[in-house]
Amino acid sequence: MTEQNQRAFQKQKGVFVSDKRRVLGRWVKGKSRLVKKIGLDFKTPKEAIEGTYIDKKCPFTGNVSIRGRILRGVVISTKMERTIIIRRDYLHYLKKYNRFEKRHRNLPAHCSPCFKHVKPGDIVTIGQTRPLSKTVHFNVIKWEPQQGVDAVKQFRQF
Amino acid sequence: MGISRAKDKKRKLTGGKRKKWRSKRQARIGRPPANTKLGPKLIRPVRTHGGNTKYRALRLDSGNWSWGSEAISRKTRILDVVYNASNNELVRTKTLVKGAIVVIDATPFKQWYKQFYGENIGDLKKKKGEEKVKQEKEGEEKKEEPNPKQIRQQWKNKNERKKKMKKYIQKKVKRREGHTISKQLIDQFKKGKLFASISSRPGQCGRCDGYILEGAELDFYVHKLKTRKKK
Repeated sequence: MTEQNQRAFQKQKGVFVSDKRRVLGRWVKGKSRLVKKIGLDFKTPKEAIEGTYIDKKCPFTGNVSIRGRILRGVVISTKMERTIIIRRDYLHYLKKYNRFEKRHRNLPAHCSPCFKHVKPGDIVTIGQTRPLSKTVHFNVIKWEPQQGVDAVKQFRQF
Repeated sequence: MGISRAKDKKRKLTGGKRKKWRSKRQARIGRPPANTKLGPKLIRPVRTHGGNTKYRALRLDSGNWSWGSEAISRKTRILDVVYNASNNELVRTKTLVKGAIVVIDATPFKQWYKQFYGENIGDLKKKKGEEKVKQEKEGEEKKEEPNPKQIRQQWKNKNERKKKMKKYIQKKVKRREGHTISKQLIDQFKKGKLFASISSRPGQCGRCDGYILEGAELDFYVHKLKTRKKK
C-alpha cells in the first residue's frame, strides 16, 4: 500500500485495523474507514470516502473540526507536502482621498490528499481549524479548478 | 526558570524577529524530558499548574497491555524496546515513549487463553473442522471429570455438578467455534514474547500501557525490523 511510506504505521485514529467484527454506521462498506461530514453544507469529496490515504489533519478523514471563519482565495503555491499557500485580495479604504487601494494577504492552509491536482490559480475555500502547525490554522474544504495561467495575477475579491 | 513553551522567541511567518515584550511566565514552563528507561519501577510525582500532579516515570518494567481482537487486558513485564519511528537513539538507550514498539511477556495472555477457550495457544492447529471440535469436546469431558473430585465438597448434587461442568465445557467449545488467531501471533506466543505498541505517555502519567500489535500493523513493524537486521 502506497500510504505506508513513513517510519511509523499510518492509520486513522478511531479505526481498529485488526477488528474482526466490522461496525456499521458511519463506516464505509467493504473498508474500515472513518469519514465524516464537516457540516455547513460542504460536500465530502468522493476521494475522501474511497481513497486509502491517511491524513490526521484532513477535515473529512482526520481529527480536525472546521469552526470559525470560512474564507476563499486563490492558490499561489503547492510546493509543500499537503499544504498550500493562498492569496486573498482585498481593498483598503483611505478616508482622506475617498479612494481604495489594493492589498493582499497570503495564507498557508492544509490541503488534504483528497484534493488531488490542485494547481496555482485554482480557487479554494478554506475553513478555520485549531492550529495544525506554527502557521497553518486553515484547512481546504472545497476546490474549484480554474483554467488559464493568468488567474493568479488577477485581483479577485471574494 | 529555564525551558519556556511560550512562542515569544519564535520568528514570524514572514521571517521577521519578534521583540521580547514580557518575561518568562511560570504557567508557560517546560520541564526536562523523562526519558523513561527499562528497569525497576521509579516514578517521581511532579506538582503542576493548578496543584495537579504528573507522574514522571524514570524507570518502568511492566504495564497494562490490551489484546484488541480478544478485548482483554493484562499486566505484563516489558522485556525489550525494539523499534522507534522517530529516533533510533531511543531504541539503543531502551527509552519508553508513546509509539515505541516493545516486546512483552506473553504468559498472562497465554493463561487467559487457556482459561477462556480451554486449550493452549501452542497446541493450535491452522485448520479446524467441526469434527475435530466434537472430538475435542468429548475428550475434554473425559479430561475434566477427574478434576471435580477436588471441588466435590462445594456442590451438593453429583448430577448438578456434572451438568455444570458439561455446560462450562460446552461454553468453551462454543467460543472456539470459528475462532482463529493469526499465524504470526501463534508464533509469538510459542516464543513467549509479543510485539506491542506503547499508547500511554510514561513521562506524564507514569504508566507504560499499550496494545498488542496485530494484523497489518504487526506486518508493517515486523518488516521494518527485518530490514533493519539486514543492514
